[in-house]
Amino acid sequence: MALAWTLTGCEKDDICDAATPTTPRLIVNFYDINNPTALKTVTNLAIVGEGLEDGLLFNGKSTILMPLKTTADLTKYRFILNFGNDDTSLVNEDNLEFRYARSNVFISRACGFKTVFVLDAENPYILTDAAAPDELWIKDITLIQSLILTENEVHLQIYF
Amino acid sequence: MKYTSKYISSIIVLLFSLTIQAQDQKKDSVVIKTDRYGFRVGVDLFKLSRSFYEKNYKGLELVGDYRLTKRYFIAGEIGNENKTVTDDRLSFTTKGTYFRAGFDYNLYENWLDMENKIYIGMRYGVSTFSQTLNSYTIYNRNDYFNETTSISSGEKFGGLSAQWIEVVVGMNAKVWNNFYVGFSLRANKMMANNKPENFDNLYIPGFHRTYDGDFGVGFNYTVSYFFPIYKTKTTVTVKTKK
Repeated sequence: MALAWTLTGCEKDDICDAATPTTPRLIVNFYDINNPTALKTVTNLAIVGEGLEDGLLFNGKSTILMPLKTTADLTKYRFILNFGNDDTSLVNEDNLEFRYARSNVFISRACGFKTVFVLDAENPYILTDAAAPDELWIKDITLIQSLILTENEVHLQIYF
Repeated sequence: MKYTSKYISSIIVLLFSLTIQAQDQKKDSVVIKTDRYGFRVGVDLFKLSRSFYEKNYKGLELVGDYRLTKRYFIAGEIGNENKTVTDDRLSFTTKGTYFRAGFDYNLYENWLDMENKIYIGMRYGVSTFSQTLNSYTIYNRNDYFNETTSISSGEKFGGLSAQWIEVVVGMNAKVWNNFYVGFSLRANKMMANNKPENFDNLYIPGFHRTYDGDFGVGFNYTVSYFFPIYKTKTTVTVKTKK
């Protein structure tokens, strides 16, 4: 009886609580280039990671959360505005590359570790046009926070 | 902890009930009751047997007590554990040595030359150990790049220590000559826990596994041998029951 209690008494509370902050994403706010204090929503913005087919789609949002690679110090995305629009003249693709240093931080026994990022001081991001040049739709970028430790703050502002 | 206390109280009730024994004597008589004093040393069979059937565990615990007065015993345990735990998200190995010292109070009214012990006691435990992080995975709720793989580490966190208080309930029964068998249950409360940077003390030798709380439970099953040092004799009058 004693043994049974000892064994069953140790509850397996080893499920990572959904409220526990884990690996953060990079948070981007979009602003109007003509009215730089006003947030601007994106229309069918697809961000597609380098080497991947499926992108993350954001529509009618002025804030997006971008996953960064936890196994490389560089993450490259294609930023495609008006993705899938029948009027192909509206579709515009820019490339945005992020460079950073990573470290793996212990959370808890149940959650394990998370990766946090520090964007490179020299070249935190590199904006280039698509392989087929169609002019940049991203007009300006401002880095707000180079330490990507939580999802509680905005890290980057994009003006278009 | 609610369950722990409930359990301990039920065990105490159980042990007390064992002490109530039928006594059926025909007439008054005077007998000599001998109390033997000395020290008892033993080994925890639970840890010893686990070392054989569980391939990720090696442990040894030696126990001892010294009878100080009629009811009080100085008691302690010394042990060594080497345990590897593989969870969903990480795998680690803890190695270390622990020492617990305190006292036992015998609640059992021994009849004539019986030498049983049903006791409550307290211990102060100290453990020094190291932990090695064998491997881990990154927790990423948004694994867009499909990177969830186990990362080998091997990083060793040495010079760790912990201290705690234990409340013990247990029993020890003489089975043959100077040989005793016993078991004990323990509830532990952490007092100090020297954790490493960027990791945690996930298993503490002598304290057991830990999660976020400061509480632990323990158990042992012992075989021990009593080395008598001296005896006292008292006369006891046995009354006839009407």
